[in-house]
Amino acid sequence: MADTTHEQWLAQIDAELDGELSLVERAALAKHLATCGHCAGARASHLEVRVALARSAGNPHAFVLTRPAIRAGTLALWLVVALAAGLVGGWFASHRWGGPGGGGTLEDTRGTIVVQ
Amino acid sequence: MGPLSFSSVLLMIAALQGPGTRLTYRIRVIEPAAVTPRILASGAVSGPLDSDMRLTLRTDTAEVEALFQVTAFGDTVTVAGEFLTRRLVGQSRRGLPLWEEDTYRRLVRMTWSDTARIYPFGTSLAPAVARRAPWVELILERHFAGGEARAGEQFELRDSTRDLSIEAVVRPRRARIILNLVRGDTVSGPRPMDLVLEEPARVVQLVLKGRPTTLVVSLTRPDPARSARARALALDADIVCLRVSQPAVLQPLGTICGRLNNIARQLPLPTGDTLAATFAWPGPR
Repeated sequence: MADTTHEQWLAQIDAELDGELSLVERAALAKHLATCGHCAGARASHLEVRVALARSAGNPHAFVLTRPAIRAGTLALWLVVALAAGLVGGWFASHRWGGPGGGGTLEDTRGTIVVQ
Repeated sequence: MGPLSFSSVLLMIAALQGPGTRLTYRIRVIEPAAVTPRILASGAVSGPLDSDMRLTLRTDTAEVEALFQVTAFGDTVTVAGEFLTRRLVGQSRRGLPLWEEDTYRRLVRMTWSDTARIYPFGTSLAPAVARRAPWVELILERHFAGGEARAGEQFELRDSTRDLSIEAVVRPRRARIILNLVRGDTVSGPRPMDLVLEEPARVVQLVLKGRPTTLVVSLTRPDPARSARARALALDADIVCLRVSQPAVLQPLGTICGRLNNIARQLPLPTGDTLAATFAWPGPR
């Protein structure tokens, strides 16, 4: 990764901390960190942030940060709930306000006779 | 029956059967204005005590047709209004106007000297609409006019941009019928008759080319109108039906129905002749 830019090295640091780099990539990153004080500082900073996050999550000895996972069942359930709510809301709104001729009640628009 | 109710019944009978008692609907159509209300139209409809008045108001977005009927009882009178309203409510997906129709009835009791104010478009209108919505003032009068039983109309439209009209609706008690027999280019002499509705049938003889034809005729009312609008507005009020049959034969030859408008209506007879009947309002008595 001779031509790797600084931004890419920072992305590599994130990936390394997530355990996503291969051995070859980790070796290249270690070699770069030995010569780049800025990236070494950034890595230390990332690590400190992750330690703080792991502590706040109650797991200070974690090797990596666990990402919040969305389970397929939960996602499907929420989709069904949202769809049902939309259908019921649409039906109610159409019944209450939908269609032409809205406005006041029918009795309001009817003629009246008043004796004076 | 107490003396009070008995006298009330007598008064009612006297009012209904009084000789030459006429009823007049006097109306003014008024539009609200900034300074003083503006009279759009005025008029009167008069006739026998059982006369009704048909009122029509049309705007670009609404159409109100109403039939007013009066039931007199002593010094009070009950006004019943049968309303048929159409309101423009929007457009269809193909750009055609959509109207909603509404039929309802209003009833109010008043004395003869009272003024009834009719709000054809309702009273609970939005302020912007209420500023332009006209109302109708109705005054009922009764007076004696010896023998004059025909209906009369008088109407003055002061704002010609408005579509307003009133009509007298009178159900005929009798009708003048002129009968002719027709065959080819030969017509018998006209045979005028004054027939009373729902009275026993009468025998009439018509002579064509020296050959007499005897028919039994009676005048009846038509079957109730099929459409709700025609029933509500009594659009068939002046339609009568002439039932034609042969003597001593139960099965009628046919029935001719029509308005009292001097138009001849034809009924083919089994003899090959055609009976032409012209219906008209009877002359004054």
